[in-house]
Formats: sequence, C-alpha cells, structure tokens
Amino acid sequence: MSNPVDSVQGPCVLSVRGLSKSFGGVRAASDVTFDAREGEITALIGPNGAGKTTVFNLMTNIFPYEGEVRFDGRDIKGLSPIQVAQAGLIRTYQSARVFPGMTVLENVLMGRHRLLKSAPLSQFFWGRSSRREEADLRRRAEGLLDLVDLLKERDTHAVDLPMGAQKLLEVVRALMSQPRLLCLDEPAAGLNDRETEDLAVLLKAVRASGVPVLLVEHNMGLVMGVADQVVVLDAGAVIGRGTPAEIQHNERVIQAYLGREDHATA
Amino acid sequence: MIEFIQICVDGLVVGAIYALIALGFSIVYRVTGAISLAQGGFVIVSALAGFTFTETLGMPPIVGLPLAVVLTTIFGTVLGAVTFVPALSRLSNSNVLMITVGMLTLLEGLSFIVWGSQPYAPPPFSGQNPISIGSVRIPTQDFWVLATVAVVLAGLWYLIGHTRLGRALRACSENPVAASLVGVNVPRVTVLSFMLATALAAIAGVVVAPTTTLQFDIGRLFTISGFIAVVIGGLSSSAGALVGGLLLGLATQLATAYVSSLFSSAIALLILLGVLVWRPGGLIRSKVVRRLDVRDEKRVQGHLLRFPPRTAIWLAVAGLVIALALPHFITSRGVMSSLTIAAIQFIALIGLDLLMGYCGQVSLGHAGFMAIGGYTAGYLVINYDVHPLLGILAGMGLSLVCALVLAVVTLRLRGLYLALATLAFSLLVDSCAVGFIDITGGPSGLVGVPSFSMAGFDFDTPVSMYYLAVGVSVIVLLLLFGGLRSRFGRAIIAIRTDQMAAGALGVNVVRHKLAVFSISAVLASLSGSLYAFSFNFLSPDMVGVNKSFELVSMMVIGGEGTLVGSLFGCILLTLLPTIFQSLAYYKTLASGLLLIVCFLYLPQGIYGAFAERLVRWTSRSGPSEAALDTSGRRAA
Repeated sequence: MSNPVDSVQGPCVLSVRGLSKSFGGVRAASDVTFDAREGEITALIGPNGAGKTTVFNLMTNIFPYEGEVRFDGRDIKGLSPIQVAQAGLIRTYQSARVFPGMTVLENVLMGRHRLLKSAPLSQFFWGRSSRREEADLRRRAEGLLDLVDLLKERDTHAVDLPMGAQKLLEVVRALMSQPRLLCLDEPAAGLNDRETEDLAVLLKAVRASGVPVLLVEHNMGLVMGVADQVVVLDAGAVIGRGTPAEIQHNERVIQAYLGREDHATA
Repeated sequence: MIEFIQICVDGLVVGAIYALIALGFSIVYRVTGAISLAQGGFVIVSALAGFTFTETLGMPPIVGLPLAVVLTTIFGTVLGAVTFVPALSRLSNSNVLMITVGMLTLLEGLSFIVWGSQPYAPPPFSGQNPISIGSVRIPTQDFWVLATVAVVLAGLWYLIGHTRLGRALRACSENPVAASLVGVNVPRVTVLSFMLATALAAIAGVVVAPTTTLQFDIGRLFTISGFIAVVIGGLSSSAGALVGGLLLGLATQLATAYVSSLFSSAIALLILLGVLVWRPGGLIRSKVVRRLDVRDEKRVQGHLLRFPPRTAIWLAVAGLVIALALPHFITSRGVMSSLTIAAIQFIALIGLDLLMGYCGQVSLGHAGFMAIGGYTAGYLVINYDVHPLLGILAGMGLSLVCALVLAVVTLRLRGLYLALATLAFSLLVDSCAVGFIDITGGPSGLVGVPSFSMAGFDFDTPVSMYYLAVGVSVIVLLLLFGGLRSRFGRAIIAIRTDQMAAGALGVNVVRHKLAVFSISAVLASLSGSLYAFSFNFLSPDMVGVNKSFELVSMMVIGGEGTLVGSLFGCILLTLLPTIFQSLAYYKTLASGLLLIVCFLYLPQGIYGAFAERLVRWTSRSGPSEAALDTSGRRAA
C-alpha cells in the first residue's frame, strides 16, 4: 500500500509513528504514521471527518494520545502546546484566528514572540536593546507583509480584513516565528481562486526559504500543485502516500473519495 | 448538644435562603451561560418593599408581602429585559458579569434613595415567641422560611420537569441554537429565566427579612453568599444549588458560633476555594456540559485605538500640562481634595485596566489590595515609626504575596470564577479589617496616619499630595506603555482575545497572567497606601467591596483598554458629587446607571469614544503624512 519514496529524501523534521486516539467510541486516529521532510511540502489530505485536524491537535499535544511524535529529533509527547510551539512547531487554525484588537502589523509582530530576547525590564524602561529589537522586528514584519501584498493594510484592524487576507495574515504570522516546521490547517478554505494562487506562490517561497511545510488541505488543485509528498487519511487511518502523481492513480484513494462522497473534486 | 442542634437549625434556615438565591443563579446560568450578580439586590428591594407595605402602609402581610414579591419581580424582569438580555448578545461573558454589577449598584442606589441608610427590622410573620421542641427553641420564622423554600422547590420542580415552559428552559440550557431551530423563542425564554430568578430572590427577601437587619447595601452579601453556594454545589444543576446553599449555611453558622463571626466569611471562602480546586464543576455536576469557551470567543470585541505617534505625544504633553496647571485654577478646598483622591485612585485604576482592559481578567476585589496597602503602611508608620516609603513598599510586598497566593490557587479559573475568587478575597480582607481591631482599629478605622513625607518634605496638603500622585501616575504610565508597546503588551492582548492561538505561538499564558495580576495588585496597594496617607485615616468601608465595584465603574465609564481612559471615569464619579453636593445622594445610583449605559451604548467609554473620533479626524486630515511616514520607514 505504501509507495516507497525513492527520490532524494531529506532528513525528517517530524516523524509520526503509530499515532492513535479514541474519543469515546470513535476512533479518530488509528496507527497514523508519516514523516515530514526537510525542504518539502507534505500534504495531509482525506475526505471530511478523516481525522486530519485531529492529527494536528494530537501532534501539538492539545489532547493526550498513543504513539510517538518526534520533532527535530526530539520526542515531543507530553510537552504542553506552548512548549511544542517554543520548539518551533508552529500551527495555524482552520478558521482564521487573527487577534482582534491588534493591527495587521501587530499581528505579524506577535508571531515573533518566541524568539524575542529583550528582558522584561528593558521593555518597561524603554531600554535600548528592546527598542532596537522592536525596530528590527518591524522591518522584518513589513518585509513579509509586502510579500503577500498586505503592507498597505498594515495599520488596519486585523479583523476588518476580508477572510482571504486574514488567512494569509495568519500564515505570515506563523512564518514570522521562523518555524522549524510550518503546519497549516486548511489555509485555502475560504479563499477565492486568485487568493489560492497567491497562497501557492507563498508556500513555494516558504519551501524555497528552507522551511518545511505540513499542510492539511481540501483543495486538491493546491495540493497537487505544491506538495512534494501526499499522505491520505480516511476514517483515522493512512490509506495511501506518495507523490501527487502517484496519489492521483491510487485505487484506494479514489475509492475513499468517490465511493463515499463526491465533493472532493479539484 | 442543644446549642449544637439550635445552631444547625439556624444553619439550615440560612442555607435554605442561600439555596433559593443560588437556584436563581443556576437557572439564569443554565439558560444564558452568564451570571447575574443582581440577585442579591432584588432580595433587599423585595424585603424593604415588604416592610413598607406591611409596616408603613399597614397592609396585612398576606397582601403586602406577595405584592412586594410581584412588584419586585415585574421591576426586575423589566430591568433585566432592557439591560441583561441585550447585553448577552453584545458583550463578552465577563462584561455581562460587569453589567450585572452595574445592576446591583443601581439597585443599591435606588434602595438608598427610597429607604435611606437606616436599618430596618421587620417583625416575624407569627409573633416573637419561639416554639419549643424538647429544650430546643426554634423561632417561628424558621418554619416559615423552611416551608416557603419547600413549596417553592416543589413548584419549581414541577415547572421545569413537567411543563412546556420547563422543557423550553431545559432545551435552551442544553443548546440554545438547536432550541431556536426547533421553534423555541430563545430571547423570551432568556427573559423568563431572569424573571424566575428574580422571583426566587424576591421570595427569599420577604421571608428572610424578619431574621435579619435590613439595610440598603446588604444586597451584595446575599449575592455573594448565593453565588458561593451555587459554585460549591455546581452551577449547572438545581440539586447543586440546594446542596451548596445548605452546606454553606451550616458551615458559616457553625463557624460563627464556635470560632468567631470574623471567620465566617473566611470559612465560606475556604470551602469555595477548596471546591474550585478540587472539583471545579461543583459538588454536583450535571450530565449536560456547557462549553463556556465557545460562547466566549465569539463575543470578545477587540476595539482598536492607535494614535499616530505624533498625535500621541502632543496629547500626552497637553494632558500633563493640564494636570500640572490644574491646582492653580482651583480655589475650593473641597474640589482640590477630591481631585487629589481621584489622582490617587487613578494609580489603582491603571493597574485594574491593565488586568481587565488589556488582559481580559475580571477582578471584583481590587479594593482588597488597596486595603492591604493602606493598612500595612498606616500600621507600620503609626506603631513602628517606619519611614512612610518603607511602609508603602511593605504594603506592596504583602499585596504581591497575596496576589501570588490567590493567583496560584485560582490559576485554573477563568472569567466568572476568577471574578468570584477576587470578590471573595476582597471580602476576606474586609472582614480582617473589621476583625483585627488591634491592628486595623476595627470598624471605626485606623486613626492618626501621618502624612507622607520624604527627604524632609511633608506632603501634608491636598495640593502636594496631588502632585505626588500625578508624578507616580506618570512614571507608572511611562513604564507600562513601554511594556505594552513591546513583546509583553502584544502577548497579553493576544491572551485576552484568543488564549489558544496565543499558546500556539509560544506565549506562556500562565506566566503572563500571573505577571499582569501581580502588577495590578501592587499598583492597587500603592494607591491604597497613598489613600491612607492622604486622609490620615483608613476605615474598612473606604476600601470595601463597594470601592471595588466603584473602581470597575470608573474604568468602564472612562474607557477600558486605554490605561488613561479610566481617569475620566474617576474624575466624573469623584468630582461631580463634590461639586454638586446634592448629587452625592444619587452617587451610587448614578454610578450603577452610568456603568450599564456605558456598557450598552458606549462600550469604548468616554475617553475611548473621544479618542476614536480624534483618530478618525487626524487620519482624514493627514493621509499624505501617513504615507510619507511609511515610505520613510521603508527607506530606512
């Protein structure tokens, strides 16, 4: 069933082994095993309710689970979601969760939180190290905003942006934290075609900058266009993996999609 | 033994009353997911109205008391329908809680105007002679209370379990959206739940009246006891309210009898904290779990207020100049003193705004920290001749310790529960202030606090004290604005609006909340110390629960989440009663009314509304300047 990947394989950033979780009687994830590699975009796809977001929630330790998750060579099971984030595994959410009460720019600045070093006292006393750090931070954030064409909106209240822009903003915010692995939960949901194209460009740029991406996505056009590896989930279990081309011809995958629901066209 | 039985009977009677009030909390909570602190206010309004009808107007109790209940219920329902119900769809859960604080304040202010501040003692329904069972003598009123509670419980059980209305109530409590989809009129059920709760409080009021001394401001005691009872028992079940009420009644009566009345609220607080830590859902948990977080998130409104840097500096300079020049234009000594008090309270308000406006944590007990600061500094300076500055620092240290202990115990609590824990804390401080007579001077207060002095200069006039407070405020503001514009500030705003997403970016939520709570406690303590030095005196009611409520009103009226906005609310509520002496009478009423109106119609507060206009105006008049700024920065 699994198609061995024989092309160039980078080292694993994230390796998930035998991840299992039941909610009551529902088996939300059973024995899920996959890797996300350096320099690649790995996509996690599957029909509605296949357990894609659950895998995200388990990886980031929102719920306890069975199995093993190694990130950057380190066992991250049992760490708090905050510690997971501090280790560099940064995720976004299905519904855009920009912070209300902050401008677009401030939302992006927020992404950098885990890497800022200036001492609390320096912040309160307007110390030089803190001010320098802030200025540097702003420059970086403006650069990233420029990349997604949001620089002109930098002083807008973040929640006033249209949905598509909010989703992009969330991706940019996550990028700002220099993730070791960027985990995006359905970034294209709610985007129009043009915005989805922008997102594809952004994702490729992220990969080119050396940040590996793990993507949960419904939009097959996007997945097939950008992913290096695709892992297919159905009913909580992995039913196929391989390159996009291989997946498109995988019988079980086609069955899972077409046999049950037929909404998953590109 | 006889004494023990007698105390237990007392406990049951008190507990039955608590249970009635607690039931009201539970019903409203189950339908709306919010807590109405106005409950106790209705208890007292109904009790006093009953007194007026039967004693003053001479109606027979059988007519007068039901009339009081009915009128209170109607009044309460109308009040709820125009304030609480609209608030539910507009405000976050913690702000709904605050609006009910406003309602409670309003009810107290109203009672004060109608009935004055003197105590009332209505006679028992059927004479003063107690009934003897063996050698246990039980007042007849106890039977009335227990019988009424039993009848009400039976009626309620039938209503909720066996009628269409009851089914609608239960449907709304499980899932309001689904209920509305199958044709339940959710807004009407919400009003009905509020009406039921008010009726329960009103009934509790008329039957409890003869067993206690009525005064316009004891409503909050009923609110607090009922609330503690329902949290102990479990917010989401009727049985929980009953069990919690009886348990609390027994415990407080036994503690009062065998330990000391001073510690009865301490015992209540300890039971409460124990339950919150050990079983946060209460002793009796319902099968239906209500997800607080889901509702909360949707209604958190972040409003955005950012001055262009240049405007901000100009405004700050202008504000400072006005603040410094003001004393030279004020001739009236009374106005000057009020201004000084306002400036001192502003220090506490800055901290409260950091906690509530920025971080979204509700504290209903900030005056507790003011009390700690005031009493510690005052006591040390009077008795040990400590330097006033050291006294202030000692108070800040003690407040910090208390804040940390309170925070560690309540760390897992959010929203409502944290608000309750702080309220209970403030109450505990209050009872210590009244009880530790040797240290605090008891109810009559700590007399003879010297003026603040430093480096040979005595701050013994309102004007000098005013400048001291302004100086301290400016320093505090500068520090906090420094923190708020960097990593710390962004993190706490993020925590307020989306704790989970903040965590996913690596924000240590707990540590930030702890830091904010500590800072605000220390600032309140500092303000409390200066308060004592300024008055040369400190009494428990100057820094009691009413002060906590007042601080919250000031902050909301001024504008939360702005640090400086609360100054306007503070000046308004402190200065107006001084300038218009006749208004002092209506102060409580006005502060409650203003709080409600602000929440509903001016959620950004006076300053917030003004600033919003100003920002819009400046950004319209100078778009080229803003563009220039952007390009300039990019070039750099």
